[in-house]
Amino acid sequence: MIGSLQRIIIIARNTLTEAVRQKVLTVLLLFGVVMICTSSFFSQVVIDQQIKFVKDFGCGAIGLIGLFIAILSTAQLLPQELHNRTIYTILAKPVRRAEFLFGKFLGVVLLLALSVALMSLAFAATLWWQESQGIAATKATYAANPHWESIPDQVSAYHHDVDAIVTQAEDPQLVEAILLLFAKLVMSSAIALVISTFSTSFIFTVITTSMIYLVGHLESTARDVWLQGGAQVSFLQSGFLEILSLLVPDMNSFTIVDEILDGHAVPWWHTLNLVGYAAVYTFVLLALSELIFRNREI
Amino acid sequence: MMDSSAFAAETVGLTKRYALSWKRRVLVALDHLDLQIKPGEVFGLLGPNGSGKSTTIKLLLGLIAPNEGDARIFGLPPESIEARRRVGFLPENPYFYGFLNGDETLRFYGKLCGLSGAKLEARIEELIELVGLQNGRERPLRSYSKGMLQRIGLAQAMIHDPDLLFLDEPTAGVDPQGSAQIRDLILRLKKMGKTVIFSSHLLEQVQEVADRVAIFSLGRKVLEGSLDDLLVEKQATLVNLPGELSAERREQLQHLLAQAGFNGADVSFSRPRLSLEQLYLRTVKADRKS
Repeated sequence: MIGSLQRIIIIARNTLTEAVRQKVLTVLLLFGVVMICTSSFFSQVVIDQQIKFVKDFGCGAIGLIGLFIAILSTAQLLPQELHNRTIYTILAKPVRRAEFLFGKFLGVVLLLALSVALMSLAFAATLWWQESQGIAATKATYAANPHWESIPDQVSAYHHDVDAIVTQAEDPQLVEAILLLFAKLVMSSAIALVISTFSTSFIFTVITTSMIYLVGHLESTARDVWLQGGAQVSFLQSGFLEILSLLVPDMNSFTIVDEILDGHAVPWWHTLNLVGYAAVYTFVLLALSELIFRNREI
Repeated sequence: MMDSSAFAAETVGLTKRYALSWKRRVLVALDHLDLQIKPGEVFGLLGPNGSGKSTTIKLLLGLIAPNEGDARIFGLPPESIEARRRVGFLPENPYFYGFLNGDETLRFYGKLCGLSGAKLEARIEELIELVGLQNGRERPLRSYSKGMLQRIGLAQAMIHDPDLLFLDEPTAGVDPQGSAQIRDLILRLKKMGKTVIFSSHLLEQVQEVADRVAIFSLGRKVLEGSLDDLLVEKQATLVNLPGELSAERREQLQHLLAQAGFNGADVSFSRPRLSLEQLYLRTVKADRKS
């Protein structure tokens, strides 16, 4: 068991090293970081709108760049190993196929964790900068009246405005948002892994995973639309939805991130529920990948 | 460790078929192969492309599953972890991880085999020297030449000191110098008591290192035996004489042979020839010395 775990970690580290030394992913990640850092230059008139924009933009960039990294790096795992024939050298060693597959996947998860952490740091720095800019601008507005500090109403209004900026910029719920984005990325990567275990081409894996990702976003909308029809929902329609919801993970639940960005309170238990859902789905997908890969001719 | 079998590798009726669904046909990649290879033997698999050599190796490594028959490595199922601890493999035209350097590559494979610390580092030193890759230790593998890739491939195959080595076309695409080094390495492995199973289409090289060979054609083994049995022309004897034979001395010899009862029409005289490879290696060696 310990030996098994060690081999998984060795393969995961090698996968991470490969991804880090590959310039394409580094460029993609740098692009994400730069995108987030420059978001504060898209100026909005009102300060709280500006902060909201940075938050939307930051989380959007983490989600999008993360999705690119998740799908692209997972989809190329097996084709590259087969092309370079490294898979033969590894599987001819005392390494089980499951260990190889899980090691590769863990490598991608580590890469995603690293990417999300780096982009989150850029996001936090941008928010902090935006916050200090906002506070400075607020102070400048009040300072138009040179005696404002001796007017209690003005001072109290100033503190109120600054508190509003700080509350908006230093929202602890952003941690929840980033955790949810990460969970969604890991799940997307697991979908790509399942496809790549039977796919013969990188492009097929990328396109199919993207389609499933899209369907995962639309399925709950479709359910809502059909269920609004009330009694008109046919047995076939409800059956189809049931099967779809079983096969395709419900990505739309993760749009709860938008609620967080809008400043609505989302309790931790709700976030952890969703993370648990992603974890269970990921484990099921991993088991499925192992089952397919176990019998694959290489 | 006690071997549960007298053979390093053994196959009984081993068959591999691939369904070509779009043509509704079945491709028989390997057809009922029976093979028994003893420990310490150097065994050559010969045959044209697509004759079943690589399929045999992959089946013996447990990388693919047979449709019929059975394969054993030291009496163990090839896909078992115990069997894999005892085998090393160099695939055909390997690329490996281009982002790792020579040392990192061997460290990665060594760790996968459960080696670590000073023992692993000592093994890396030993292998780098054995395959002559001192100048490639710090360079990423993407900058390696074909010959260097084959040598690092051999080193990774030997990292855990396996008893049985599978080498799939070890000299493919390598210059004669490098190819001679690989041949010498196989001979060293043989001296160390290792079993080596290798495939090649360079017949001369196989001749120089293999104890026994099997010739494959269209997925079937068509001939098997020791090189002495297969290559010695039992109907004739070759006599080597020093120097050139003048016409006068040739007549004297023919006369002597006729007295000994050999029919003059059955006796022939020819000059021994070097193989092109021997000539090349001799010339290059002489040039480097000068």
